Amino acid sequence: MPELRELYDAILNGDHKTSAAVTREAIDAGIEPMELVSGYMVPAMDEVGKRFECEDYFIPELLLSARAMKAALELLRPLLAASGAKSAGRVVIGTVKGDLHDIGKNIVGAMLEGGGFEVIDLGADVAPQKFIAAIKERNPQLICLSALLTVTMPSMKTTIEAFKEAGVRDGVKVIVGGAPVTAEFAREIGADGFGENATAAVALARQLLQAA
Amino acid sequence: MTSKERVAAALNHRPPDRVPIDFGSTTVTGIHVSCVAALREHYGLERRPVYVHEPSQMLGRLDEDLKQAMGVDVNGVFRRKTMFGFSCENWKLWRTPQGLEVLVPGAFETTTGDNGDIYIYPEGDLHAPPSARMPAEGYFFDAIMRQEPIVEEQLNPEDNLEEFQPIADADVASLKAEVEAAAAGGRAVVATFGGTAFGDIALVPAPFLKHPKGIRDIAEWYMSLSSRRDYVHAIFARQCETGIANLAKIHAAVGDLVDALFICGTDFGTQSGTFCSVNTFRDLWLPYYRHVNRWVHANTSWKTFKHSCGSVDRFIPSFIEAGFDILNPVQCSAANMDASHLKADYGDRIVFWGGGVDTQKVLPFGTPGEVRRQVLERCRIFSAGGGFVFNTIHNVQARTPVENIVAMIEAVHEFNGVAVHA
Ligand code: B12
Repeated sequence: MPELRELYDAILNGDHKTSAAVTREAIDAGIEPMELVSGYMVPAMDEVGKRFECEDYFIPELLLSARAMKAALELLRPLLAASGAKSAGRVVIGTVKGDLHDIGKNIVGAMLEGGGFEVIDLGADVAPQKFIAAIKERNPQLICLSALLTVTMPSMKTTIEAFKEAGVRDGVKVIVGGAPVTAEFAREIGADGFGENATAAVALARQLLQAA
Repeated sequence: MTSKERVAAALNHRPPDRVPIDFGSTTVTGIHVSCVAALREHYGLERRPVYVHEPSQMLGRLDEDLKQAMGVDVNGVFRRKTMFGFSCENWKLWRTPQGLEVLVPGAFETTTGDNGDIYIYPEGDLHAPPSARMPAEGYFFDAIMRQEPIVEEQLNPEDNLEEFQPIADADVASLKAEVEAAAAGGRAVVATFGGTAFGDIALVPAPFLKHPKGIRDIAEWYMSLSSRRDYVHAIFARQCETGIANLAKIHAAVGDLVDALFICGTDFGTQSGTFCSVNTFRDLWLPYYRHVNRWVHANTSWKTFKHSCGSVDRFIPSFIEAGFDILNPVQCSAANMDASHLKADYGDRIVFWGGGVDTQKVLPFGTPGEVRRQVLERCRIFSAGGGFVFNTIHNVQARTPVENIVAMIEAVHEFNGVAVHA
């Protein structure tokens, strides 16, 4: 019987090799994938988020933990799909058109994944059309837009407007974030929410999708 | 006071006759080529394409006529090779995606992808994989990650040191010529000789190398600060040694004509916090910075210049301890970076080079009146007793209205009590 607590520790310590190894053992031992996700991985990433907020962890540690979590998730994904297990929700994330800053976006994506969401990452410099295509093809409930340049913040507005024109706005929730973005700006452009950091993004996603 | 004396006074924390102004002396205190073109037009200068002297951020060169019109006190000297590994020579015309005709180096070779994205090549070699991309309607290039698969046991710090080699005599000679030309006009000289940027995230992907080895992916690099700290120490240690040897050679050639040396542009701050802890900074960076700064101070009259964006309030005491004389860009819009607090707490020990106006909101989106008000206020706060060189917070971005840039310059002149240029 694998020591599952090691999965929690491996993620917290950013050790992707151990995280994958314990997961593999757990799968071989016939442990339910969902038990690993909600029992160990989500709590570990919750703790990572807390440590980041109180500045015990910084960007290097956060990225390492995210990678360790992903190493486990990669192994579990096919099993989760086969078992028909429901994720907390399907999310499409991307940095808006004209902006290539993606460190924050990647962290938000990883924390959402760590929070039990299914995350489709469209990368950086993502045109509105690309978001729309992803909405049509993948049926997400939540869209996350990131921007770090004030000169690309207007792209957030354009993107939301394009959603309306394409008739897909009502089917999804849209949240925005990134260094210069504010709650006020989010309201102005008709987003459903704003998150100051990755932990806030996860809380917001949970809240919005629960209400939906 | 001459421009040089003015800057020298400011750098030595003595009140200059007026606040000195920098634009264009480094690749973090510059102006996007489109705005340089607009400024030339505003000041009624000769109509001709602007030189793009830093092709990745597409920064325009400020020529003598524009510097005079704006009242700039500083000249910049740059290393011979640009971010894409070619030098600024054999200029040719190029049209930006917005249709502006500009001059770019001859080796600025591009191809266009199916979706209109523009790709550029290291050393202008179209046979090498492209090292950066400008989106179809973009304003600048971004590095393409070219990370070879990492085999942990085979990682060798040498792989991350390809770009940090002993400087060639020909390069020393060209720097000497450039420094002499820059100093001739009576302005202060800021030099970027290269080699002492420790882990600058803009340089890690090495868009200037054809086949970069080692750790070149941005996320991989950040993780390495924690998971492969010995490896990073090994890179920094070697880099430090070579960097100082190069500075010694360069100093022997150029002497004390340089006023400030751009040491490093590694960003430690984000909008709300920092990339790493103060402890990590003190373990991983401080020893090398201290080495370089000590060498410079023991052997030259140069002041040392540190750039770091974001909320670095908590790092400033360590920057000072490491021997930095100058901090840039002083991002007052980030957390805990209020101008009055910075001036009161550190103003006697470090020079603020920047902080003159916010480039996230006020300069690009404010009214000329709002720009003027903020500039006057920042000049008042930062200039007391010297220790301030006026510059925007980082480069002036594309699409910044020219009226706002002009309002900013005029406000500095107004503060200085100098007649506004036509
Ligand atoms: C690192 C950095 C870079 C790196 C980017 C590497 C990369 N792949 O991302 C490099 C060096 C390449 C770079 C390049 C440039 N940069 Co830059 N960069 C930064 C810097 C220092 C830190 C950004 C960062 O990564 N922070 C860390 C992450 C974790 O924080 P974050 O992104 O804010 O994300 C957190 C939250 O905001 C939130 N969040 C983020 N996204 C989302 C989304 C949702 C939905 C939610 C809910 C939450 C959320 O959660 C995250 C985690 O907690 C900032 C400084 C600053 N003040 O932010 C400048 C900064 C953003 N850059 C700036 C500029 C101007 C540029 C350049 C144009 C170059 C130039 N200086 O002229 C280029 C352009 C690149 C491009 N095309 O977009 C300016 C922007 C100014 C403006 N007008 O807006 C800044 C503010 C620097 C400054 N002082 O002026 N940059």
